[in-house]
Amino acid sequence: MPNDHYDLLNHLAPVDVERTLVLGSRISLSSGGELFPLGAAADSLYLISRGQISLTLPMKVRDRETDVVVEERTAGQTVGWSALIPPHRFTLRAVAPVETEVIALSRQALEQLFTDHPDIAYTMSLNLAAVIGQRLQLFQAMWLREVARMVEQRAA
Amino acid sequence: MEMLLMGICVAVFGMAIAAAAFGAATRPEKRIAPAAEMKAEAVKPAVAPARFFIDEVSVPGPTGRVSIPIEALLLQLERHVRLEQAAAESFLAQPTPSLLHSKTVSPFLN
Repeated sequence: MPNDHYDLLNHLAPVDVERTLVLGSRISLSSGGELFPLGAAADSLYLISRGQISLTLPMKVRDRETDVVVEERTAGQTVGWSALIPPHRFTLRAVAPVETEVIALSRQALEQLFTDHPDIAYTMSLNLAAVIGQRLQLFQAMWLREVARMVEQRAA
Repeated sequence: MEMLLMGICVAVFGMAIAAAAFGAATRPEKRIAPAAEMKAEAVKPAVAPARFFIDEVSVPGPTGRVSIPIEALLLQLERHVRLEQAAAESFLAQPTPSLLHSKTVSPFLN
């Protein structure tokens, strides 16, 4: 995947993209492999270089605890941004439904990079805000659709 | 000679017991009188026919809804979430009230 296709690295100069990516370590996940569990300490965020990551939340269906997919992320997208946002705990579980490869960027390495290169910090912060904002807007719209249906049912 | 007679007696006695046991095992049960039989039929509760090799039978419940296997239910739930996300993304791409409340083909809503 070309470096400029990672949403977190949008608008960075190629040299800065390279500077960021060398800090990462590649992790391969087999189909069904878990990237991180719900509630775990979030020390790294992940850029998906190949495959797909499903983000799930636990739900009780007929007295059976099961993981329901609430979001799917594909190559080029970012998961695990809780690593940069306090309290640094994953609020979803991430699993790979297919063979997947991600680049793990540790918070410690990123914080050092941001200290040394404030321009990278600024651009990546805007990119991260876009990723978080997209999630917020999506779930806001989904929540409103659900509320509208509930009101419709009550009124019927 | 005495031994022979004793053997014949034991064999005859054994055969008599075996015949009695066979008769008891194959004797038909007493037939219920037709009126009593009809009464018994009338009070028999209505139950779904027994089915073999099926864990969960799709029989309408008290609410009239059909019970489906949990695996199928989870697949429907996953599909519902995908459809809802797609609908929400359409709204975000072009925010209008009609797109916000657009219908999907989710089995949970139809």
